[in-house]
Parts: sequence; structure tokens; C-alpha cells
Amino acid sequence: MAVVEAAPTLVSGTGEERSRSWLRALELIVPGAVLLLVVGACFVGPLVLPVPSPVGGNILESNLPAFSAGHLLGTDPNGNDVLARILHGGQSSLTIAIAVNLLGLLAGGTLGALSGYAGGVLDSVIMRVLDVLIAFPSLVLTLAVAQSLGPSQTNTILALAFFSVPAFARISRAATLRLREQPFMVAARLCGTRGWRVLLRHLAPNIMPQLITFGMLGMGIIIVIEGALSFLGLGIPPPAPSWGNMIAQGQASLSATPILVVWPCVALFITVLAFNLLGETLRARWSGR
Amino acid sequence: MTTTAPPDPRESRVLSRVLGSPSVRLIGKRVLMAVPIILGVSILTFWVLSLIPGNAAQQVLGPDATAAQVRALEQELGLDQPAVTRYLDWLGGAVQGDLGNSLISGQPVSGELGSRLAVTGELVGLAFVISIGLAVPVALLAAYKPNRLVDRISMVVSITGLSVANYVLALLLVLVFAVQMTVFPAIGFVPLSEGVGANLHSLALPAAAIAFPLFCFYTRFLRGDLVDQMQGEDYIVTARAKGIGPWRVLLRHAFRNSSFGLITVVGLNLGTLIGSTVIIEQIFALPGIGQLLLQAINTRDFIVVQACVVVFAIIAVLANLVADLLYAVLDPRIRYGSR
Amino acid sequence: MSVEETGYPPFPAGETLLARTPDRARPDQGGAAEPLLEVTDLRVQFRRGGRRVNAVNGLSYRLPAGRMLAIIGESGSGKSVSVRALMGLLPETATITGSARFDGSELVGLPEPEMRGRRGADIAMVFQDPTRSLNPTMKIGLQITEAVRAHADMDRNAARDRAIELLQLVKLPVPERRLVEYPHQLSGGMRQRVMIAIALAAEPRLLIADEATTALDVTTQAQIMELLLELQERLGMAVLMISHDLGLAATYAEDVIVMYAGRAVEYAPAGTLFEHVRMPYTQALLGAIPRLDREPHAPMPSTPGQAPDLTALPAGCPFAPRCTSADEQCADEPPFAEHEPGHWWACWHPVRDGA
Ligand SMILES: Nc1ncnc2c1ncn2[C@@H]1O[C@H](COP(=O)(O)OP(=O)(O)OP(=O)(O)O)[C@@H](O)[C@H]1O
Ligand code: SF4
Ligand SMILES: [Mg+2]
Repeated sequence: MAVVEAAPTLVSGTGEERSRSWLRALELIVPGAVLLLVVGACFVGPLVLPVPSPVGGNILESNLPAFSAGHLLGTDPNGNDVLARILHGGQSSLTIAIAVNLLGLLAGGTLGALSGYAGGVLDSVIMRVLDVLIAFPSLVLTLAVAQSLGPSQTNTILALAFFSVPAFARISRAATLRLREQPFMVAARLCGTRGWRVLLRHLAPNIMPQLITFGMLGMGIIIVIEGALSFLGLGIPPPAPSWGNMIAQGQASLSATPILVVWPCVALFITVLAFNLLGETLRARWSGR
Repeated sequence: MTTTAPPDPRESRVLSRVLGSPSVRLIGKRVLMAVPIILGVSILTFWVLSLIPGNAAQQVLGPDATAAQVRALEQELGLDQPAVTRYLDWLGGAVQGDLGNSLISGQPVSGELGSRLAVTGELVGLAFVISIGLAVPVALLAAYKPNRLVDRISMVVSITGLSVANYVLALLLVLVFAVQMTVFPAIGFVPLSEGVGANLHSLALPAAAIAFPLFCFYTRFLRGDLVDQMQGEDYIVTARAKGIGPWRVLLRHAFRNSSFGLITVVGLNLGTLIGSTVIIEQIFALPGIGQLLLQAINTRDFIVVQACVVVFAIIAVLANLVADLLYAVLDPRIRYGSR
Repeated sequence: MSVEETGYPPFPAGETLLARTPDRARPDQGGAAEPLLEVTDLRVQFRRGGRRVNAVNGLSYRLPAGRMLAIIGESGSGKSVSVRALMGLLPETATITGSARFDGSELVGLPEPEMRGRRGADIAMVFQDPTRSLNPTMKIGLQITEAVRAHADMDRNAARDRAIELLQLVKLPVPERRLVEYPHQLSGGMRQRVMIAIALAAEPRLLIADEATTALDVTTQAQIMELLLELQERLGMAVLMISHDLGLAATYAEDVIVMYAGRAVEYAPAGTLFEHVRMPYTQALLGAIPRLDREPHAPMPSTPGQAPDLTALPAGCPFAPRCTSADEQCADEPPFAEHEPGHWWACWHPVRDGA
């Protein structure tokens, strides 16, 4: 029906509708701006701001309250600057999350696209393997992997990628199956375009939006799980800071200095919330609502 | 639907009817699919644990052990055998309920797992009851008047709640209810045998920490499904055209149909949920299977680790299976094979 | 095919269908009598994505008690929206203005609780797709008793008896067994009979059948129409049938309204309308009439040209862009008026007889 593409002579947006479109824009702008701020603060902040080193603090300066001279958020029991630890901890959380999601997106995306595009036996084999991985309670598997490999940033990335790949693969496969029979795909195949070319030129651009949207939600998930690993002592090994091990450290003195738990928790929450909001908004946009 | 009557005895006809019914066929297919998945999970676990750098026996005995001691332990554990043999041995025991003996205590793992599972099971069960019990009324209220106040609030709460890591929430709960208000214990577990009240009291905070994100998730899911139905389904219009009240339409028609989907989602959740008990049991010092797993990881008792991981995976697979089957048995659309 | 699929018990003696002619004269219902339903200048506007969709634009008609009126028009002409507005079944994005009086009392603007009391009891509706219109997870019995008990204080057993009665009324064989079955266990025609039973549950005085037979095959279609006709006479209901299908309207309805772009453009007794077409649009529809030699589910052949854009209707006759007789005069809106006795239309250059 030609209701959508019409001469706008007799219709006009009312004030209410205009404010609604503003709200819709804000749904993207606010979480996006928060994320830019968080990423900027964590990666650029320590370079340009006069924040002290996150490790090797002076024990005489331990447990300073917030707004102490030189320590905006105070210090922890080891005399390390809390703000510096939050920023550096964020750096490692974000690095890990980005690396894991990139790995998942590339490896999982390719695997899923191949599986969906090829179909047949290859598809069945890949899907059964993914079923096995998905059946795993993710944290448990990660714990086992982390323990086998020993705690370190690289190993955390590898361990987390273990179940990020199947999740991306599923999404990519479902998207591929939907696209497979679309006219332009059929046309490309009929024209004799080679398989990898179809995948790269026609399929990839079309499934990318969905994968990226899932990646946003995935960022939140990975940051939470990375925090859990570090919290349990299987992620970033102390004294190097991470939000997870800061929370674990703060838990030890929960009744005396609860604020030490609050800072990394707030940082974690804001970052995850921003990723989730952005992911949700993108998903709603793509699904056309 | 006419069946050409075959001249065979009546019983076999009944039997073939039962076996041929869509839900029975579905159940059979799902059960058959669960077996390779569980096998795959155990192989994967075995493989991951065999990646532990260095010799496992050496790890257990510590760096001071002599080569002879290490060899003796290796032989005792069968570590000198090829991996495939070891796995088949383990599998042979596992199907008979023998998951090996702990390297640290020497006790059979299966015995320990039983009591641990009971604690974890109670924790998870409680979390489900709380989260579903709250999510259903909230989602119904939200869907009754979409985009109005209750709906908006519940949506904000649930997307916020889904962004709170459960360990963060757990610490927050401890801070407020154990440290400041001292109404609930910060750690510890009182078994059921010492009274239901005391038992629930000790599980209140950990169950709440697991339940809250779940509550948010179910509220979102259910609200979305209800609103989609109320705005998009013809049978809702039929129901309204009968002149029945709006609550009745929501409950008898929309919610009834959503509940089938909810069952599946709950089953799928159980898999991930069981994983989150690890960290919650650690925070609250609950003697569940998650705590056992962590202890085993820290003491490098890989026999126990192996057993725990496989049990977690089996629970996840079984939960999905049961959810599928419940769905097939309860939903008449599937029961009678229209989809 | 078994008896259960298509065989319906013969009519009880004395209740055989009256022989009907398309255009029956009903002396007891002269034009002067108070109509059961009187719709005047009904307008429905939807808000959609910052635009206003004018789905119904000043629709007026009268329906006397016990008569059958057909509304025809191409897809998107506002037929469904106009009748759903009467029952308050439109989403919240709809704004309804104008008047619709049922038995003397106004329906437009009626608060929801009062409207609910009238749904089913005064006006009931049967929808196009019986598969989607019945709740797939509820037994037939519950779906009927629910309608019965919405307006009558009845216990379960009484409601069940009534449900069986209703299923007998719509000629479903073995009603007791149907009660415990689910919709997908029935054929399409049987489902539509269940829908009719639900609609009849509270003995409405007006039954609206919104393309109630479109989703059915030709044989079933005729059976359902015959059933509606018989029920109309037995129960003294008025029936408002909506259809794409002019043939169906001509066969069963007494009066016919032709809708275009959300308004009535021609209105006459069925026989008059088809013998003396006046609107070029109706003539175009007639040219597109489905024939028996066409496949049952072939899409409705459309009249040439684009359906009008309901967000920005042009001034003047809305059909002008597609009309072969259009001229400058058609830039002014033609009045909808009774140009011949009982025959209303809205056109500057009506079609002549025999043209
Ligand atoms: N909820 C709604 N929001 C916006 N526009 C709507 C809505 N419902 C219907 N419309 C529009 O109103 C117009 C009339 O729709 P309606 O369903 O009454 O057509 P119809 O004559 O019944 O057609 P059909 O023969 O296809 O059933 C259509 O253009 C449709 O797009
Ligand atoms: S008024 Fe003019 S444009 Fe409209 S139908 Fe009549 S002749 Fe055609
Ligand atoms: Mg319609």
C-alpha cells in the first residue's frame, strides 16, 4: 500500500511526535556518549591526566578517603590510587571484551555463515559441535579452561572466546539461512560467482549488522564474566588491577570500607548498562520496531 | 484423517498409534539428541583438563616429589595410559555412577556430589520460585496497560537489573542486609534438617542475588510476548469481541499461550543459571556443587573438577530436554502435531 | 469424505430454507421504521509513525432489524476498520468520530466497560480467518462457554449444555466431542462454524461477518453463507456481511454498500445495484468479479490503478485518478445522495443503464 511514500501535504508531525523522534535519537546518543566517555577515560585518561600508578602504592598512604590530595577516589589498603586502578582495570576489562568479541565475531561469524551456506553434512557437524559448547554452563567451562591455562590476560581471552564463538556462530547461521534464498543471493549463485566471493561480497555485509548488534550485548556479557573470573582469582592476577579483582579485594574489607567495593561495581554497572542499552536499541532498530 | 485399517491385532495398532504420535516421536528424537551432546561435553572436559601444562601427577604431588613418587601416582591414576583409553575407562565407570576418587581426600566423588547437589538444587529452586513468582504478576500488570507507568517502570528496572552482575548484586545485598541492617547472615548455610525457617533465612540473600536478574529477564520476556499477542493476534480480538473482561482476556488467552514459551525459556536458563551458582556459593560460603568445583580447581583435584563439569553440563542438557518435552506435552499445538 | 467432514444433518421439518430472491421486499420494514443500526458520518483516523491514516472518511448507512446488508469494496477501503469501530475493537492509535446509533443509543465514545457489555450481546462478529481467530491452545468448549457466560449468569453445566445447543445450531456433527477438541483438529469450515457459534452465544441482534467465507473453499463458502442466512431468519438477527466478492453480496444480501477510500460511494438494494450500476467504481469492480471458472483462491482481480493514499486524500472525488469518466467537475467532491428512489451514489457522471 502506498501509505508510506505519500506527498506530505495533508500530514504533518505533531509536537508529540517530534519529541518522540528526539527521544528515539537519545536512545542511541546517550549510551553511545557514555561508552565514548568510559573508553576515553580508561585508555586516554591515564596518559593525559595526572593519575598515579595503579600499583606499587605506598602502604603509609593506605585507605585514604575520597577527595584526598592527589587521590580523587582515595586509596586501597595497599595504598594504591583507586581512580588509577579503576581506569587501568577498565582498560583490561575492555581490552578483553573487545578481543573476545572480535574473535567471536570473526571466527563464529565465519563458522556460522559457512555452516548455513554450505548446509548438509558440514552444517550438521558444525551445529552438533556448537550444541556441545552451548550446553556447557559458560562460566564453568571458562573456569576449567582458565585453570588449565593459568591466569593471565591472554588466557582469559582464549577461555572466554570458547563460548563466545558458538553464540556468534548461531546468530550468523540463522541470518545466513534467512538470506540464502533471497533473490540477490540466488542470482549471485546462478551467475556462477564463486562460493567465497558470495560469502564475502554478498553475505558478510548483510549479516554484519546483526552480528555487531549481538556484539554490543556480548560486550556487556564478557565484561561481567571477566569480572567474575578475576573475582574468583582466575582472571587478571593481582596486583594488576581489574574491576573483578578490585571487587574481590574490597569484599575482604566489606564492613570496614564498603566504598572500595562500590567504585568498581559502579564502573562495571555503568559500562555494562551502556552496552546493553546500545545493543537493545540497535536490535530494536534492525528488527524494525 | 482416515487410517486404512490393517488386518493386524488391535494392540499393535494402539502401540503404533502411540509410538507414531507426534509428541512421542518428538520426545524420542530429543532424547536421542541429548546423548551425543552429553558425550561430547565429557570428551571436551577431558580434553580441556588434559591441557594442564606439565604432568598432572607432578602438579598434585608438588615440586618436591621424587620422580619415583610421580611415576607411582601416574600408574595409580592410569595417567601412563593413552588419553583414549583413560577416557573410555572413565566413561565406563561414569555410566555406572563411579566418577572416580578425589585426589585430595581419596573419597569417591559421587558420594560428595549428592549432598552438594541438594544444596545447589535448593538454591536454584528458590531463585526460580522467587523470580517467576514476581515476574508473572509484574509482567501482567505491565502488559495490561502497555507504555503506561507500571510498564515503563518495569522496563527500566528490568534493563537495569540485567546489567547488574550477580556478584555485584550479591555484595550489595550483603552490604545492606547483612552488614548494615544485620537481618540476614552474610555467609553460611543452615541445612533443612535444622528447620525450614532457619534454612530459608540462610538462603535468602544468595537466592535473591540469583533471582533478581532472572526476574528482570522473565519480566521482559513475558511482557513482550503478552503485548505482542494482545496487539497482534486475531484470537485476542475474538476474545474481546465476546465481551469478556480485559483481565480475563489477558490471563485466559494471552498468558496461557505465553506460559508455554516461558517453560522453554526457564529450561534454557537452568543451564546458565547453574553456572552462576559457582560465584554465589563462593560469596556466601554455601556447600554446593559450585563451591566444590572451585575448591577442586584451587587444589588441582582434576578428578573432582571433571566430575563437577560433567554434572553441570548434564544438568543443563537435561533441563533443556525436560523443557522441550514439557512444551511438547503441554502445548496442544504440538501435542496434536499442528506445527 | 466422511460424514463428519461435510455431511450436515438435514434441516428439521418446517425449517427448510425459504426460497430466496436476492432482492426480497420486506413490507414490515419500510424505510421509515427506526433502523437497528444507523451510522452517520463515521470517521476513523489512525496515528502511525508520525502520519495520520484516514481509514474511514464520513461513512453513513442504515441497517433495519432483521435485514442483511453487504459492504463491498477493494482491499484497504476501510470495511473492517468501519465495523471494528462499532464494537470498540480498534487499537488505541485510532480516533473515532461521527455517530453510530445502535437501537437508538450511541456507540461512538461509549466508555469501555459499557462497550464490553454490548460486545457479543448486542453486536457479535465473525472474522475472516477461523484458524487465527480461535485460540490454538484452548479447547473449543471453553472458547464457547466463555462467550456464553460473559453475558449470562450460568454455571458450568448449563453453559456446556448451551454450547452443545449452539454447535447444533451451526450444524456441527457430534457436538459433545467437539467440545474437548482443539481448533486445529477441525477443518476450516468447521472452525468457522465454531466461530459462528461463539458469535451467537449471547443472542446478538446484529451479526457482523467480516469476510467470513473468504478463507474457505467455494463449497464450504456456500454452506457457511446458507447457514448465516438461515440463522438470520430463524433468530431474526440483522446481518452485516463484508466481502470482496460481489457475486456473494448479490446472492445473499438485501442491500449493498460500495465503499471506496473509507466512504460509501454507492448504496442500493442488491438487485437495483447490479441491474442499474451508477458509480464508475462499482462498474470497475463488476468487471473484476470473480467467476466460477476461476480458481477458488485466485487473488481478487483488482481494478486498474492505484489504491488511494489514505494519508493524503486529494480534494474532490477520491476515485478521480483512476476514473475513465473524470473531468474538471470531479475536482469538487460529488455529494452522496439519493438520486433515484432507494439508490444512493456519489458521482458527477453516473453510468447510464446499458452503458
Ligand atoms: N491499526 C492500524 N493502524 C494504521 N492503519 C490501519 C490500521 N488498521 C487498518 N489500517 C489502515 O486502514 C485502511 C483500511 O483497512 P481495512 O482493514 O478496513 O481494509 P479492508 O477494507 O477491510 O480491506 P481488506 O479487504 O483487505 O480486509 C488500510 O489502509 C489499513 O492500512
Ligand atoms: S465523480 Fe468523477 S471521478 Fe468520481 S467517479 Fe464520478 S466520474 Fe469518476
Ligand atoms: Mg478487512
